Amino acid sequence: MKRLQLQRWSSTVLSPRARTSNKLHQHLYSASLRHQSTVAPLQTESPTQNVIEDASLDLEDPELKLRLDSVHKRKSQLKYPSPPVNAAAESAKLAALHARLYLPSRLPLETLARTLVDVSADPNADFNNESLATLGHDLLTYYTSEHLLATYPRLPLTVIFAAMYAYVGPKTLAAMSKEWGVDVASLPGGEVDPGFLQFKRVEPGTDLSKATKGKGPRPYAEAKNWRKTVTSKIFYDDEFGDPIKGSNEAGAGVPDELARATAVRALMGAIYLHSGRPAAKLFFQQHVLSRSLNISQLFNFSQPARDLTRLCARENFEKPVAKIISETGRLSRHPVFVVGIFSGQDKLGEGAGASLLEARERAALAALKGWYLYSPLNVRVPSSMEEEGAAPWKPAYVDLGEVIS
Amino acid sequence: MFSRSVLRSLTSDLRLSAPTSVSSVNAISQRACLHQTAWLRTTQQQSEPQSSSPIPEAPLSATSQTPLQNTISQSRNAIPLEKQPVAPTFTSPIEVSKSLMEQLPHLVGQTPHYVVAELHARPYLLTEGDHIRLPFLMPKVKTGDILRFNRASALGSRDFTLKGAPHIDERLFECRVRVIGVESEPLRIKEKTKRRQRHVKQAKSKHRYTIMRVMDVRVKSPEELLEEGAVVVEDAEDSPQIEARS
Amino acid sequence: MPVQGLRTVTSARNGVGAFILQCKRLDFHYCNHGGSSRGMLAFLTQTLPEFARENPQIEVRVAPRHGKHPVIKGQYINGREKAICVRNMEPGEILKKAMILKDASGEKLKRTKKPVTSLNESVRGIWSPYHGDLRGV
Repeated sequence: MKRLQLQRWSSTVLSPRARTSNKLHQHLYSASLRHQSTVAPLQTESPTQNVIEDASLDLEDPELKLRLDSVHKRKSQLKYPSPPVNAAAESAKLAALHARLYLPSRLPLETLARTLVDVSADPNADFNNESLATLGHDLLTYYTSEHLLATYPRLPLTVIFAAMYAYVGPKTLAAMSKEWGVDVASLPGGEVDPGFLQFKRVEPGTDLSKATKGKGPRPYAEAKNWRKTVTSKIFYDDEFGDPIKGSNEAGAGVPDELARATAVRALMGAIYLHSGRPAAKLFFQQHVLSRSLNISQLFNFSQPARDLTRLCARENFEKPVAKIISETGRLSRHPVFVVGIFSGQDKLGEGAGASLLEARERAALAALKGWYLYSPLNVRVPSSMEEEGAAPWKPAYVDLGEVIS
Repeated sequence: MFSRSVLRSLTSDLRLSAPTSVSSVNAISQRACLHQTAWLRTTQQQSEPQSSSPIPEAPLSATSQTPLQNTISQSRNAIPLEKQPVAPTFTSPIEVSKSLMEQLPHLVGQTPHYVVAELHARPYLLTEGDHIRLPFLMPKVKTGDILRFNRASALGSRDFTLKGAPHIDERLFECRVRVIGVESEPLRIKEKTKRRQRHVKQAKSKHRYTIMRVMDVRVKSPEELLEEGAVVVEDAEDSPQIEARS
Repeated sequence: MPVQGLRTVTSARNGVGAFILQCKRLDFHYCNHGGSSRGMLAFLTQTLPEFARENPQIEVRVAPRHGKHPVIKGQYINGREKAICVRNMEPGEILKKAMILKDASGEKLKRTKKPVTSLNESVRGIWSPYHGDLRGV
C-alpha cells in the first residue's frame, strides 16, 4: 500500500531527480517478483546498480534508505546460486548445527555452510561441497574398511561390502544428517539461510537409472549376461560393490538421500582439512562407529552344508558330521530336533529346527558364522599408528580368504 | 586341527553381535572423570598410578569436552560445598585372588559383557548401548553429563559370571552412562471419592524421569589391574570367583 | 554364489559416541500489550540472552504474536513440536519451562514399565528346554 501511495505521490509532486527512486521502486517491485518466481535470477546490469547507489546516497528518508539497503543486499544475494560467504556468520541455524555436533572451533562457519551446498545447487567448484565430499568419502571408507578388516579378518568380501554399506552407505549417511537436525531448503538460492542443505531436486518422471553419462572403469560393462566375479568388484566397482557410474549431467537434480550423504561426507572432509587427522578420526568413531550393527545378520548362505565341507577340507579338519543331540515329538505335529555338526570330537555348530534337514542347515550356518566372525582380542587398526606415542605395530591377523569365492 | 581355543573362539564368536570398538575406549576414558555425582564416583583420579600419568591431551574440541566442562563448572557452583561429589578414597590397592586372576582372561576375552549395576538398591541389567529410563528424576545432573556406575552385583559374558558379595570392587570394571534427557509420563488423573459426598477430587500426577544411555561396559584385564597397582593375594573363603556356565 | 551380503543400515544410538541434543529450536512468542506476557517480556530481556549462550546448540527465535498468550514452542530432531503456554508466569518459571523443552526428547509421552530397553541380543542367550541337565521325573 505504501508503495502505491508513494508512486502516486511521486508522479504528481516530486522533482525529476527524485523520480529515480520511483524507477527504483519499480525495479524493486520487479525484483521481488523475480525472487518469488521460479525463474532463475538474472544477472543485474551495472547501470541499474549505479542508479541504486546514487539514489541511496541522495535520499534522506531513513526508512527508505533501510529498504534500499535491504533491496541492495537481496539483489547481491540473488546474483549467486548459493548463499554468499558472509551470510554464514549471521545464520542462527548454522551456528546451532556447529554447536550441536561439537565441531572443533577451528572449523569455521563458512566452511560448514559450504558443506551444505550441493553441486546441483551451485556448479561453481569453489563454492560447492564436491571436493570436500570426495575427501570425506575416502576418509570414511578407509576408516570403516580398516576397522572391519582388523576386527573381522575372515569376513567374506560380499559381507564386507554389505557392512561397508551399512556403516557409510548413502542411506546411513542420510539418516545421520537427519539425526543431526539438518533441514533441506525446498529450492536452492542465494537468499536461502545457509543453515539449510541446498540441492536441486530431481524432476518428477526422471529415469534415475539412465541419468548418468560416461561410464565406469569396468570393461565390457554393457555385457549384462557376463559373470562378474567378486574379486573383480574390488578393482572395478566402488566400496560397496556397486558399479561406478559416470558423473551426473550438469544441471540435473539429485535425490534427497544422495545430497544428504554428500553433505555428511563433505563435513568429514572439512573436519580433516581444518582440524587434522585425529579430529577426523574421532568424529568418525563418535558418529559412524558408535552406531549399532549386527554383522552376523548380514550373511545370506545358499548352501551352508556344502560350504562347511569345503572349509573343513581346506583347513584339514576332519569331515563334518551332523549328529542329533536331542529331539522331541518326532511323530507329533511339531517336532524339534537339535542337531550338532561335529568334526571329529569337536562340535563346530549347533542348531534346532522342525525337521532334521532344517536343523542340520541351521547347525552348518552357525558353524560357518562362527568361523567367519572370528575376531582377535585387542584389535588395533593401522591408522592408530598415526597417533603420537603409539606402541610398536604388531602385524594384524590376515586370513587365507573366503572358503568359496 | 581344532584346538580347544579355536573351538572356544568359534562358539563365542557365534554370538558376536554389535561390533565393539576397542579403539574408542580411549576416547571415552579421557572424558570419564568429567562428571562425578555424590554417589557415583570415579576411580580414575584416585588410584596412584593413574593420577601420576598425565591425561593425554584431547586432540580436539570435537569431543563434547569443552561444553561439558562448562556445564559442570556451572552446576558445581550451585551445589553447596558439603554436597559436592566426594572423590573415592581407597586406603589400600585392590586385592585380587590368584584364582580370579587366572579366570579373568576368560571373562575379558568373551564379548559382549553385561553388568548388573545397582542404583538406589535397584538392579539394572545393562549392556553397551542400552537405553535406561530411571524410575525417578535424578537431581543435579544435566543433559550430556557422563556418569560412572560403580556398584555392580554381577558382571559377566555368555559363559562366565563374576558375582559380587554383595558388590564387585569398582576398580574391576568400567560402566559409563550418559544422561540424554528428561522424559515425563502422560498426565494421570485419579478420581478420589469419599462416602456420602458428591464431590469428586481429581488427583493429577505427571512424573519426570531421567533418560540415560550406556556408553560402555568393560571388564579390566589382569594386565590393566596389575598396572593400576593390584595386589595378588592367596585365595580366601570370601574372595570373589568367576562362575562358568554348566 | 556361496554367501551373499544383505544390505542394512546401522541404527543410531545417540549418546554412545556423540551426543546430540534433541531440541533443535525454541520459538518464544509474546505480545507487546497483553498483561499475560509481562513475565515473558521480562524473561526475553533478562534471562534469554544467557539461556541462549548456555545452549548454543538450540536455535532461538523470538517473534511477537499480537493479542495472544505467550507460548514457548520447541522443535525437535524427530520432527515433532512441543508447546507450553507461559501466560502470567514469572521469568523464573518460564526458564523452568524452557529447560523442560530443552531436555525433552521430542517423543510422544508414553508410560513404560521396564527401565531398560536394549537393541542388543541377550548376552547369556535364551533358555532352551533341550539343553542342560535333564532331570528324570
